[in-house]
Amino acid sequence: MKPLLKQTNMKKYKLFQLLFIVIIGLVPNLLMAQDAVEKPSLKLSLKYFNDNNKTHHLEVQAKSKIDGKFQMIANVPVQFYIGSDPDKSNLIGKGITNPKGIATVIIPATAKEQWQSTANQNFVVVSAPTKVYEETKGELAITKAKIQIDTAEGRIINAKLMSLVDTTWTPIAGVDVIVGVKRLGGILNVNETPTYSTDTSGAVMAEFKRDSLPGDNKGNLTLTASVIDNDVYGNLSVEMVVPWGKYYPFDSKFDERTLFARRGHSPLWLEILAYAIIVGVWAIIIHLLLQLRKTIKLGVE
Amino acid sequence: MEKIAEQKIIEDLLPQKFGKQGVIWVISLLAMCALGAYAYFRQLYYGLEVTNLRDYVSWGIYISNFVFFVAISLVGSLITAVLRLSDVHWSTPLTRIAEIIAVSAIAFAGLIIIVDMGRPDRFYNLFTHGRLQSPIVWDVIVITTYLLISLLLLYFPLLPDLKIMIRYKDRNGKYLQKLYEFLGSFWKDKPEQFKITDKAINILSITIIPVAFAIHTVTSWLFATTYRPGWDSTNFGAYFISGAFLVGSGAVLIAMYVFRTHYKLEKYITNDHFDKMGKIVVLLALIYLYFNVNEFLVPAFKMKKSEEHHLMGLFTGEFAIAFWFAISTAMLIPILILIFKKGRTPKAAFVAGILVVVGSWFKRYLIVTPTLLHPFLPMSDVPENYKHYFPSWEEWAIAGGSLAGALLVITFFARIFPIIPIHETITETNEHEKV
Repeated sequence: MKPLLKQTNMKKYKLFQLLFIVIIGLVPNLLMAQDAVEKPSLKLSLKYFNDNNKTHHLEVQAKSKIDGKFQMIANVPVQFYIGSDPDKSNLIGKGITNPKGIATVIIPATAKEQWQSTANQNFVVVSAPTKVYEETKGELAITKAKIQIDTAEGRIINAKLMSLVDTTWTPIAGVDVIVGVKRLGGILNVNETPTYSTDTSGAVMAEFKRDSLPGDNKGNLTLTASVIDNDVYGNLSVEMVVPWGKYYPFDSKFDERTLFARRGHSPLWLEILAYAIIVGVWAIIIHLLLQLRKTIKLGVE
Repeated sequence: MEKIAEQKIIEDLLPQKFGKQGVIWVISLLAMCALGAYAYFRQLYYGLEVTNLRDYVSWGIYISNFVFFVAISLVGSLITAVLRLSDVHWSTPLTRIAEIIAVSAIAFAGLIIIVDMGRPDRFYNLFTHGRLQSPIVWDVIVITTYLLISLLLLYFPLLPDLKIMIRYKDRNGKYLQKLYEFLGSFWKDKPEQFKITDKAINILSITIIPVAFAIHTVTSWLFATTYRPGWDSTNFGAYFISGAFLVGSGAVLIAMYVFRTHYKLEKYITNDHFDKMGKIVVLLALIYLYFNVNEFLVPAFKMKKSEEHHLMGLFTGEFAIAFWFAISTAMLIPILILIFKKGRTPKAAFVAGILVVVGSWFKRYLIVTPTLLHPFLPMSDVPENYKHYFPSWEEWAIAGGSLAGALLVITFFARIFPIIPIHETITETNEHEKV
C-alpha cells in the first residue's frame, strides 16, 4: 500500500515540476508578445504648391487605415526636409497635423541655395514616433514649373505653362489647366469649359463669358489659372485682377421700416394702427377716470 | 315690507368672516404660495438651471400657466360685458365672481411672465427697448390695459355696495372700515352719481370686449407668428378665444358652487343659474371642440413630414395620455354631463366645471410644450435631456404657488367685499316685485 502511495506522490511532484517549467518558459514569451503588437501604419502624402509664382509651400497629409478606411490623423509631429536626405542641415520646417491630418510649411528663404541648385527638386517629410505610430517617411519629387496668365481684347484669358529644363523655361504641352474666376471662396468657370489642355507652346486660351458677375467695390474680379495635383509639377496657380466684374452698391435695408427692422423702425401703417388703438383705448380709460373724479366731487359737495 | 326684504338681502350678502374651513383653506393656499416663493428664490439664486427648461423647451410650464391665466381672465368680459349688453339679467349675481376671477388671473398672468425670465431685473428693458413689431410688446400693452379696465369694471359697480358696508361699522372692524371709507366714502347714492357710473359701466362693457379679444388673440399670436409645427396656424386666435371662454365659464361654475354652499347663498345663486351657465358651457365646449377638430384634422389629413412627429406625439406618442385626457375632460365629458338637465344641477355642474378647468390647464401645456420639442431645424448632437421635458419640482412649486396666489386673491376679495352685488340685487328684486 505504501509504495503505491509513494508512487502517486512522485507522479504529482513531476506534474508540478513540469507545470512550473512551462509557466517560467511562457511568461517571458507572453511579455514579449505584448511588446510585439504591431503599431498601425501611417501614410504621409506630401504635396508641393507654387502660389502665384511668388511663394512655394509644402503640405503633408497624415492618414492611417482604421476599420478598413483611411482616416485623417491629427496631432502627428512632422519635419520637412529639402533634398532626399532627412538631414538636420536640410530641415526647412516643422509642424503638427491639424484635425484634417494636414500640416504645412512655407519653403523658407534660407533654402534658396538648395532650391536654385537644380531643376528637379526632392522633398522629404518625416513624422516623429508617437504612442500609436512608428516614425514614417514620405517623399516627393517635382520638376520646377510656373504658370503665367494674361488677357487679350475681347475678354480672352491666356495662360502659359512652362517648366525649368536646366536653366531655361520651356513650354509644356498636354497638361490640364483650370481657368476660372474667384467667387465666394471657390473657383467659378469662366465659361462652360472648366479645364483646358496646353498646346505645344504650353498655352491655353479661354473666353470669359460671365456677364454681370459681382466684383469688388471697383468692379474687379480675380482670374485664376491652375494646375492641380500634377504628378510631375505638383500644384501651380496664378492670379490676375481684371476690371470685368460689375459693381453692385450695397443696398442696406437697415434704416428701412419693416416688420423685421430694429426698434423705432416699424412700418408706418403698424405705428399708426397700433398707436391709434392704444390712444383710443387709453383715452376711454382716462375719460372714465375723470368720470370717477366727477363722482367723487359730487359726493364731497 | 320692502325695507325688511332689503335688510335681509344685505345681511345675506355682506362679507362673512372665515370659518374653520375657510381658515384651513387660506393656510393651505399660503403654504403653497410660500413653497412657490422658496422655489422662486432658488431659481433666482441658482438661475434657470434649477428648471428643466433647456434650449428646446424654453417655454415650459410657466408659459402654459400664463396662457391658462390669460384664458381664464376672459370670463370677465363674457359674463360682465357680453351678458350685460345683451340685457341678460339672470347673470347679475355672477358678475362680481367673474370680474374677480378676471382680475386675479390677469394679475398672475403678468407675474408668471416675469418668473419665466432668467434675468427679471431686466424686465424694464421691455418698456425701454421694446419693438412695436413684436407680439410680446403688444401682449404687455394689452395685459396692462385689460387689468386696468377689469379693475374699473370691478370698482364702479362696487361703489353703492361700499356705502352699504360703511353703515355696518361695528361689524367691519377698524381696518376694513377704513378701507371701505377710503374706497367709497364719497358715494352718496345721488342720481347724478348713478347716472355717471351707469354710463361708465356701459362704456367699460363695450370697451372690454375688443380688449379681451385682443389680449387672447395677441397671446395666440405669440405662438402663431412663430413658424413651428402645431403653431403655424391661421386659426389660432379664434381657437384660443373659444377655449378661453370655456375655461373661464368652467371656473365660474366652480366659484358659483363654492360660494353658494360656503356662504349659504342658495337664494341668490339658484339652480336656475347653474342650469343657464351649464347651457353656456355646453355651447362653448362645442365651439371649442369644433376648433380643435379644425386644428388637428386639417394638418393630420395632409400629414406633412414636419407636422407628423408633433401630431403623432399627441395622438399616440409621448403626450397621448395627456392629450386625450385634456380633450375628454375639457370638452367631451363636460358636454355629456351638462347637456342633460340632471347634469345642470349644482353638484354635477361643479364637477363638470372642475373637469373643464383641469382639462384646460393640460390643454395649454400641450399647446406649448410638444411643439417646442419638434423644431423645424433640430440641433445636431443635442443632449438627450433636451428632447424630453418634464418640469422640475421648482417649476411645479412656482406654478402651483401662482395658482394658489390667484385663489388667495379671490378668497380675500370675498372676505372683504360682497361677492354678489348687494345694491344691484336689491334694485332687481324691487323691480321684479313691482312687475
